[in-house]
Amino acid sequence: MDFALSDEHRMLQDTLRGLLARHQGDDLWPALAEAGVIGALLTEDEGGFDGSGSAIALTFEELGRAGASMPLVAAMIGASALATAGQGDLAAEVAEGSARVAFADAEPGTRYDRGVAISVDGDRLTGRKTMVAGAEDARAIIVTTADALWLVDAKAEGLTLNAYPLMEGGRGADLTFADTPATRLGALDDFGAALSRGILGHSAFALGGIIAASDLTLDYLKTRKQFGRAILEFQALAHRIADLAVEVEQARSAVTNLSGHLTAEPAIRDRHVQACKATVGRVARLVAEESVQLHGGIGMTEEYALAGMIRRLLAADTAMGDADYHLERFANGEPAWA
Amino acid sequence: MDMRFTPDELAFAAEVREFLASELDPALAEKNRLHQSLTKAEMEGWHAKLHAKGWLAGNWPREFGGAGWTAIQRHIFEEESAKAHAPRIVPFGIAMLGPVLQKFGSKEQQDYWLPRILNGDDWWCQGYSEPGAGSDLAGLRCRAERQGDHYVVNGQKTWTTLGQHANMIFCLVRTSTEGKKQEGISFLLIDMDTPGVTVRPIVLLDGTAEVNEVFFDDVKVPVENLVGEENKGWTYAKYLLTHERTNIAGVGFATAALDNLKRVAKAQIHRGKPLDQDPLFAAQIATTEIELMAMSTTNLRMLSVAAQGQAPGVESSMLKIKGTQIRQQLDALTRRAYGGWAQALPMETGNQGQPLDADDVLSATANYLNNRKLSIYGGSNEIQRGIIAGTLAKG
Repeated sequence: MDFALSDEHRMLQDTLRGLLARHQGDDLWPALAEAGVIGALLTEDEGGFDGSGSAIALTFEELGRAGASMPLVAAMIGASALATAGQGDLAAEVAEGSARVAFADAEPGTRYDRGVAISVDGDRLTGRKTMVAGAEDARAIIVTTADALWLVDAKAEGLTLNAYPLMEGGRGADLTFADTPATRLGALDDFGAALSRGILGHSAFALGGIIAASDLTLDYLKTRKQFGRAILEFQALAHRIADLAVEVEQARSAVTNLSGHLTAEPAIRDRHVQACKATVGRVARLVAEESVQLHGGIGMTEEYALAGMIRRLLAADTAMGDADYHLERFANGEPAWA
Repeated sequence: MDMRFTPDELAFAAEVREFLASELDPALAEKNRLHQSLTKAEMEGWHAKLHAKGWLAGNWPREFGGAGWTAIQRHIFEEESAKAHAPRIVPFGIAMLGPVLQKFGSKEQQDYWLPRILNGDDWWCQGYSEPGAGSDLAGLRCRAERQGDHYVVNGQKTWTTLGQHANMIFCLVRTSTEGKKQEGISFLLIDMDTPGVTVRPIVLLDGTAEVNEVFFDDVKVPVENLVGEENKGWTYAKYLLTHERTNIAGVGFATAALDNLKRVAKAQIHRGKPLDQDPLFAAQIATTEIELMAMSTTNLRMLSVAAQGQAPGVESSMLKIKGTQIRQQLDALTRRAYGGWAQALPMETGNQGQPLDADDVLSATANYLNNRKLSIYGGSNEIQRGIIAGTLAKG
């Protein structure tokens, strides 16, 4: 067995680290596109050149470590789903970064059901989606309903966009559909490969944040002095940072498991989708809460780097089903996408 | 054993509910339910209503204008108020400084400051923590030097809750560096309008700005604003902290949070049914409710000991830990009940947009983040564990 990165992936990692050190916010997307990072998340059939679990995991882990906020998961799901549904032209534009798509999944009034707030009548959608990352910049929206995936033009009639900041740092929107024309891409479970990659993206992004928050916390415990010594010397705190270190490895292995089974047969892949999101979501929440507590008051202040990390960790757990959602489906032996 | 409230206590609870029903503005209660920041005027308005009824200082003896309630009556008032989403009484004057002045202040200080607290003439804040003195409070360095008939104060305080509204601050200051660090601390009352006092807000991770840093640059404080004796402030500070820790269990807040969680879980759809019918989620609510049932009785057991005149000791540390764990768990479950909907925070300023029809969702997310403070402030839960273990070791 060899868990090390290939030479190509080490180069991709170096490229990403360089880009993330130099670019932030709105500048980041064009820089990533130009460097071919979006293509690395997609297979050749989808307009990219890699699309392996390993490339996806390392890319999102780096984004998570750097705290970059951008709807790259949507680009990956979107291009993959569009290619699968025979919309190759738009997929290629997304892959090269000249077009952006958003992924509208969450709905108001429900804990992760699909089709509660939105309904289908022929080729038209009516209802609402919420917390749609990057909707303002999207040319088209990929929309989930109870059992299908749809493509909606951002300028379609009857589509209203109401934008606001997301707690992970970027902007999102509520999308209200009023008899809005849409193109059915196919049944939800036809897109298991694309959606499972979304789970890997969110999980690896969370892993990067988990590592960044635990590292920051360890540094703080080493330097913060109370009662005349570094607080890391208090055993009660030292054991808790040790427990976090153990859980960080669990999260890493859960991401590795999904990354290594991304192209396995759906029944096996889905077990890893659920196990990965359940593990990483649990660890993300644990690290978020423990990092704040181990810091004390300073860990709650906006000026300190931890605040943004905490919000991104919670957001990554929350997106596309949290730990409990995937735990329940795993326990029931249900497929991930149906 | 008799677990029931006495007829007098039941009558008192009914009177509190009646008062809340008639005096609490529903719009204010709703704002409070959503954990939105109240304005200074809203908080002062509620204080004035309570003062008119004679209920503002339930913990004060009657001779000082308080209600002279028993520990059980105070518990009943706090629980009913929390359930009705009434604003909480701002604790710094009433719950903290008042008892210190009553026990250690001079007659002149009592006569001057105590009525002003009740009338709302002064808004007090607490100058305890410093950037280098958190859990290790006695390590504080903010200095006060005696120069003739005044002290000159230099240094910094932090985590000053609602300091933006305050005109007065009670401070622990270092007046001596001789001997043990606890022995060189004094308790000073400082007018925030004195030249050299600067207040800077600290924005927290949920976007609120309820705490502040306070800077002192050659601030002159008249010596008559020293409480008790110079260098004896640590004794007064510890006395104040025991009062800060009354209602530490937060049973009323937890009960209100549990009611809200159940309401949310009934409304949110999960697998086509209300979320409260989901065995996994329902079990988590039930686990927390069962914890709260036991903790409420622990609280009452300890209150009834306190009502018999025995000082609570290690018990308040136990209630702090269990009470904050329960409230944080309720807050976490409420946020999670919303699933993918809970990815934004309320924006109190600016024109950046808000999700539609989502006030409760935004509030749940912000409240979950904001209440991480519960296990940090008032002596972190780690400090409380140290107190418990230390007491057990001696026993």
